[in-house]
Amino acid sequence: MSDRNLLQLAEELVEFGRKNGASQVEVSIQQGTNFSVDVREGEIEKLMEAVSKNLDLRVFVDSKMARASSSDLSKDTLSKLILNAIQRAKLSSSDPFAGLPEKETITIDVASLKIYDPAVLDMAPEKKIAAAKEVEAICLKDKHIAKSYGSTFNTHIGERFLANSNGFSGAYRRTNCSNGISLQAGKDPNLFDEGWSDTSVHLEKLESPETIAKKAIYRVTRLIGGKKIESQNVPVVFEPPMTAGLLNFFATCVSGNSIYLKQSFLAGKIGEKVGNDLVNIIDDGLMPGALGTELFDGEGVPLRKTVLIEKGTLKNYLLDTYSAKKLKMKTTGNSGGPNNLYFAAGSSTQEQIIKSVDKGLFLIGTIGFGEVPTTGDISRGAFGIWIEKGELTYPVAEITISGNLAQLLQGIQMVGNDLQFKDSITGPTVKVAEMTVGGK
Amino acid sequence: MVDSRRRDFLRKSIIGLATTLTSGLWFDMLAKGIVPLPSLTFFEERFGVSREDMKKILEIALSKGGEFSELFFEYRTLNSVSMEEDIIKDSSENITLGVGIRVLKGAQTGYGYTDDFSFEKMKQTALTAAAIASGNSQFTIANLSEKFSGLHVYDLNLPMSDVKLDTKVDLVKKAYAAAQTYDRRIIKVQSSLIDELQYITIVNSEGLIIADVRPQMRLVVSATAEENGIYNTGFKSAGGRVGLNFFSTTETPEVTGKKASEEAIHLLSAVDPVAGEQPVVLGSRQSGVMIHEAVGHPLEADANRKKTSIMWDKLGTQVANPIVTIYDDPTIPFYRGSYNVDDEGTIPKKKMLIENGKLVGYLQDRLSAKLMNMEPDGHGRRQTYRNIPIPRMANTVLAPGKDLVDDIIRSVKKGFYAETYQGGQVSDTGKFTFSVNMGYLIEDGKITRPVKNATLIGTNVQILNEVEMIANDTAFFLGTCGKDGQSAAVTAGTPTLKIRQMTVGGRK
Repeated sequence: MSDRNLLQLAEELVEFGRKNGASQVEVSIQQGTNFSVDVREGEIEKLMEAVSKNLDLRVFVDSKMARASSSDLSKDTLSKLILNAIQRAKLSSSDPFAGLPEKETITIDVASLKIYDPAVLDMAPEKKIAAAKEVEAICLKDKHIAKSYGSTFNTHIGERFLANSNGFSGAYRRTNCSNGISLQAGKDPNLFDEGWSDTSVHLEKLESPETIAKKAIYRVTRLIGGKKIESQNVPVVFEPPMTAGLLNFFATCVSGNSIYLKQSFLAGKIGEKVGNDLVNIIDDGLMPGALGTELFDGEGVPLRKTVLIEKGTLKNYLLDTYSAKKLKMKTTGNSGGPNNLYFAAGSSTQEQIIKSVDKGLFLIGTIGFGEVPTTGDISRGAFGIWIEKGELTYPVAEITISGNLAQLLQGIQMVGNDLQFKDSITGPTVKVAEMTVGGK
Repeated sequence: MVDSRRRDFLRKSIIGLATTLTSGLWFDMLAKGIVPLPSLTFFEERFGVSREDMKKILEIALSKGGEFSELFFEYRTLNSVSMEEDIIKDSSENITLGVGIRVLKGAQTGYGYTDDFSFEKMKQTALTAAAIASGNSQFTIANLSEKFSGLHVYDLNLPMSDVKLDTKVDLVKKAYAAAQTYDRRIIKVQSSLIDELQYITIVNSEGLIIADVRPQMRLVVSATAEENGIYNTGFKSAGGRVGLNFFSTTETPEVTGKKASEEAIHLLSAVDPVAGEQPVVLGSRQSGVMIHEAVGHPLEADANRKKTSIMWDKLGTQVANPIVTIYDDPTIPFYRGSYNVDDEGTIPKKKMLIENGKLVGYLQDRLSAKLMNMEPDGHGRRQTYRNIPIPRMANTVLAPGKDLVDDIIRSVKKGFYAETYQGGQVSDTGKFTFSVNMGYLIEDGKITRPVKNATLIGTNVQILNEVEMIANDTAFFLGTCGKDGQSAAVTAGTPTLKIRQMTVGGRK
């Protein structure tokens, strides 16, 4: 189906729902063109190509809501789904906060967002296969690498169509491509796995196979020989991907749903000092060419830039229409969660940060799920490199780190100048005053 | 972005309902009181895909020299109802419909899928999958011959997809009310009922045609308690491959709700754990997650065929204390991880993995079994028609031992007792981490104070050898397992057991 037909289908369904008893209707369609190739030990292991479609809809009958979705876009199925949803909504409870967003005109020119690169679409499959093979070949030449789990090259072209009964009708498309590998190093029983993968909206900005291979080799080989250490409380330096991991947890704690449900330690803290002056956290859905940039969110609300924490003071939450109404605030265009969420850069180099630590952990990896938004508590498996007298010494493994996000935000001591926008959630190197490292 | 090859298991993957899966356009059939049964003609009757067309598509898929082709047809409906803040806030109905086409050549897989059953679209998809090979057709398609599982591991008497919404709302409300009224300190409750019905038909170039219809149902409750500014959340879920009768025969919604609140209240008085190596007792039921992560994942055939699992060269050797026996059984009636047929048409059987401490088998799918010269055992599973089948667990069990729970606790002077988990994660190298939602201190042979925020960390080789005592109070819990970006419904079961020494992470 062409673009126009899918937007038209969405509009027709909105109309159909209105005629059949819904006071409000929203229909959203996503179409994805996906390609992926997995290469292992020099051979193609899996080649996949497909176009997928999915439709999501919400209906409101008075203030009662029901949802539905389908990968079957036949009109017969969809009209039955809407009629069913209207019936279900009637059996639901009335909720004065439920409803579609107010109509907001999109003033942004989608081209200025730079989220679509035709080169991704035009790239020949042979080139994608060659790029994946090249990454692996470089890695396997390194004598420290025991095995390859395989390299993968993906491309995705996504199109979104959204129409609602408040008169919104919009569409846009975006691209992304990625190339990466997972590796194993060490000797049985002390094996380590790590890897690297880079994702980009624009093909030309994707890291080269050499860069990806180099990073992957570096990331896995530095773990070799990792050992346990004694349990102790020490300062921890977060490598940028680990700062991003912390922000990921922060995003859950600052999401409107967690807030109005009081399942977050940040509930009711707007205007309060939740971190020290070094803490500045921002979500920017309009950053040109970034992975989390879109024209509008899952409800058709235009994306924007939202300051969440400014010099330690909590300024806003990540809100959709519903949670915003519940909290008597305004939607921030975050119905799909964070867009481009980042911890603003500071002035120190990573080297200066490490130099400042007499004894502590340089955190480079975590494993497991130990994050509780209600309390801010964090407790996870960890990998890192031990810092002694300002120098990186030996790798440590099979340890745990624990702390509390509220305390960590108050205890940020240094912030790096190495912020890069290579992922939709990102941050620089950051040093926190103290966490508990669990070991022997 | 770091590429993660880790497998994980999440206990509370709950409230984010209805983003991917399916629901019940069954009303036309079900309204007439027709009990759904596996039907080989389902996709022909409902969507007009004839057996002749299936055969032609299989042929096209082999036209470039592939050795094996397969079509996986899926139609799935998923319904959910959820209650929050004292109101029924949301309900959804989701449909997944499509066909996945797979072509194998040696160790190589070509894959394509479409949600359009027109012959032209399926042909185009088959040609995409066929491109993994480059040459001329070498194999012919055998005549399709029907195969029946003979297993009946589902309760299809009153499938939830056939149950009226007001009955479901009533169940959700009962669970909610039981959780809310359990204690005055309970301040928030969420309760949801999720049910699905999945129709599949698998045909392949070897002439197989087989069908299955799988119900799945789960009631999930989370409860948050507050006291003196301290908040804690407890979770409980109940369900399986069952229907409405589950709530009268196995567990009432009230019990599920109450248990969620019980955990939240217990956590209010919980202390942080003592960090460091210590004896650890794993309580029965939820500690199944440990067996799943530490033993199950490293024994999935794909990672062993590729020699990336720490267990690849240990078949036939002693890998655990001889008191340890572990198997996976997809045929346990009504369990969340059970099925009559796996997702590539193999009829599953109970598979012994570790017998008296010796490694005796891997969990196989077709591809790995063929390349390893072993037998497929019905563990090839996929999330939807959009995914290739890979070796997965179903219901993973640590067999009961001879010790008594009391003796196990008494044997620990100072240690940790793990009761409920948020989840766990393991890498191919055998390193694992578990996040314990609630545990207890063991002091002088007695269970004392509740503990929160503990993390258990170790390697599978170490833990298998350090299992010292095993009781016989086996119990299971329901989970959702993630691997290579695909999720699968599973259970895991274990009796209470003692690990001699393990690292506990915490904040002291």
